[in-house]
Amino acid sequence: MKNALIYSFALFSSTLLFGQKSELFIPKDAVTVFSINNINLLQKISMDDLVKYEFMEEVHQELFDGSTSGKTLKDAGIDFDQRLNLFYGKTYQNEISGFTFGVKNKAQLFEVFDDFQKLDMKFPGVEMYGTFFNNLIIKGNTAILIRIEPTMDYIDQMTDSLWYARGNEMPYELFDVEENVIDEEEILNEEEFTNDQPVEQASYPDATENPNIKNYYELRDSVQSVLQERELERLMNELFVNEVNLYSQDLRFAGQMSHEAIGTFYLDNSRNFEKSQGLWYFQTVLPSLYKDIQELYTGNVILGDLILKENKVEFHVEANYGKELGSIYKEMNDSKFDKHVLKYIPQSSTGYFTYNVNLRQAYEQAYKVIMPVLSDEKNAQISMNVLTIELLNEFVNKDALFGTYKGSMFGTFNGIKKIKTKKIEFFYDEETFEYGEREAEAEEDMPIFTVGFSIDRSDIPEKVMKHMSRLTSKFKNCGDYWKFDNAILDAAPMYFISRNGLFILTNDEDLAVNHSDGYGKEAISRKECKAAEKSGFMYGHIDIEETLNRFPTGVLNPRQEEILNSLKGKSGQFELNSSKTTSEQTKFNLQYSFEGEETTGKHLLDLINSIYVVTTFNP
Amino acid sequence: MKKITLLLVLFLSLVSCIEISDDLTMHNDGSGTLRYKVNLSASKVKVNSILALDSLDGKKVPSIQDISAKVGEFAKILDAQSGISNVLIEENYTDFILKFSCDFTSIMSLQAGLANAIEAVSKDKLGPEADEIWITWDGNKLKRSIPAFARAKVKAFKSNDLELLRDGSYTSITRFDRPIEKFDNTLGTLSKSKTAVMIKSSAYSIKENQDLLENTIYLISTKN
Repeated sequence: MKNALIYSFALFSSTLLFGQKSELFIPKDAVTVFSINNINLLQKISMDDLVKYEFMEEVHQELFDGSTSGKTLKDAGIDFDQRLNLFYGKTYQNEISGFTFGVKNKAQLFEVFDDFQKLDMKFPGVEMYGTFFNNLIIKGNTAILIRIEPTMDYIDQMTDSLWYARGNEMPYELFDVEENVIDEEEILNEEEFTNDQPVEQASYPDATENPNIKNYYELRDSVQSVLQERELERLMNELFVNEVNLYSQDLRFAGQMSHEAIGTFYLDNSRNFEKSQGLWYFQTVLPSLYKDIQELYTGNVILGDLILKENKVEFHVEANYGKELGSIYKEMNDSKFDKHVLKYIPQSSTGYFTYNVNLRQAYEQAYKVIMPVLSDEKNAQISMNVLTIELLNEFVNKDALFGTYKGSMFGTFNGIKKIKTKKIEFFYDEETFEYGEREAEAEEDMPIFTVGFSIDRSDIPEKVMKHMSRLTSKFKNCGDYWKFDNAILDAAPMYFISRNGLFILTNDEDLAVNHSDGYGKEAISRKECKAAEKSGFMYGHIDIEETLNRFPTGVLNPRQEEILNSLKGKSGQFELNSSKTTSEQTKFNLQYSFEGEETTGKHLLDLINSIYVVTTFNP
Repeated sequence: MKKITLLLVLFLSLVSCIEISDDLTMHNDGSGTLRYKVNLSASKVKVNSILALDSLDGKKVPSIQDISAKVGEFAKILDAQSGISNVLIEENYTDFILKFSCDFTSIMSLQAGLANAIEAVSKDKLGPEADEIWITWDGNKLKRSIPAFARAKVKAFKSNDLELLRDGSYTSITRFDRPIEKFDNTLGTLSKSKTAVMIKSSAYSIKENQDLLENTIYLISTKN
């Protein structure tokens, strides 16, 4: 209630202060929104600098065509004093995507959006433009660019309904003489599809002789077009007549918009669940169960803020959930940190994570929350499933199960190392040059990783490994560890270490042979240990510079290598922390820090640009 | 073959160690045997990791089944060529070693047969390269070089790929029924029996100097 009052006040005061804002144009069906606070962003980096980045070329290519070549985002008539909000949403009937933004100079805007035609729709104060796919709607100094696409399932449903109501027969030629459905694969594999005849020619029906009668596909196109128009009109009414939008409908989103962050993120998972097409069976056949599960998901919203500080970029994420689901998460994350994992993380590790959960408690709580929901359902199949679960709960040895896999784990990435492999070598007799083959040792580059699990019942994996060693000579007991030859890519060995309440899998020979009890003084520092211990159920750390230094540049082309080298001087560290989980939420904080004199905004954009160039460069 | 060529180019450009060997036996009557081996066993981690990908550098990575099917098709077509017999292919996809051998009645049949088979499986016309004579034999003198279509493939390697070829090796052996009098290539070594010449080089050096394997071998005349 207190939060609701604060959000309402924020909504009221911000509306008074700023008048019309781009966030007020976001449709209420938007499930995901990423909002960029241009005012804050442009104070940190100038537009002139921004448009020079390579990744902006893609944005410009998307916006500008041949007639507007040479123009940049600067010349697009956009008002950068308003937020830029990207949104996406999906219902059973439609998929919507687009962005809302401020308009400063309409003439300039239409030099960019020059293929939009004015549409005749009567909404007071609203101008509307459209292309085949997109619509641009302007009211005052704010605009929304939106694409509305009816979903295929919905189009098919409406088309079929009309098609059969008109007395037509099955439109597809997917049935053979005995009316058996022909497998799609079979049709595609038939010769007529493999010869030179274009697939389109073979798969579309001919137009009907009477031009006034539509065939199935023509009817489908018409249905799609009508549904699209109808949905656009509904949306226009919703946004501009009834003034219903995400900002006015969801206080959490409105509250998020009041944050002074460079970027804010909103994802309503509960609506994702509601709109999930995969759950149609539950919705129609088991409506009460669907309703109960839906209630479990109520309030499941993820909110995030992207903040730029001096030499630091922070991403704060809040994962919110309803009371019952929250009670499961709370029990799951209420776990004592396993300090043993820290001694297995070497100082030289370029990236590592710890994950600390209690699966036993999570299971017991989930059983308490979910079983009553399932037990109330009067459905034979569900009743059988409930009985199976209850019997398993009675008969399965939970101490052994959760003692073997408690849920807590850790992982490290120790860069690329040379590992020993076997190769076949050709050799030639010195006298006759006759050829022969012999096995020799080789060395190859391989990423070195370690994954470890907390375990109370180390005797159980030990049993499995003993039996494995009887089955194959590749599996060997080497005292402090087990070795499985050629386990990775049929070339490199894998090691298993079961010590100190941990079961560890690694391809790092050095860890298995020399550090099976941990790295001792060579493990991560006390400060780093404390950071991991203090974090909630999850902690992660990546040293970008070290990772880049160890990256095998041999696999890159010269341009990629050049960019990678330029990144090496300006890379920092990623750190992921989580808060203690309550029954309402868990907070995450992803922090990127770096050393250097350049501004954080420029550093971040340089980094994004470098990643963009490396990943998209095609020689 | 296009797929194999693509795969070979991908492998060659990514694996740090490749061993190639060709072994040509010439009999006095002009017939002979060609054996060719490609060994990627020193890079099998990389080869396996490439094969695990769907695509690389925007190109589809073929599966082992695809490669094997194309190799089989190549062998079948080559075996049907006039003057070519006993085509044998040995595929080892655990260590990634491919061995190929065939008998030929004359050096001209070998060159024409290979060109036809490559053209048939690649569906690309080799053009004038198909008629190129890269081995000549007059009964007393054998001259060999790298064929033009192979030279073009090697040329296509980008400069940074070449760095990776430095550890690779190429061995070329030419054997005869009778002793060798002399040969031109200074990198060549004569066997103790004096009936075979071997040239060993790094894969990188061959890219840098495509004439490196070129050799003219003179045999002691049968009239002597």
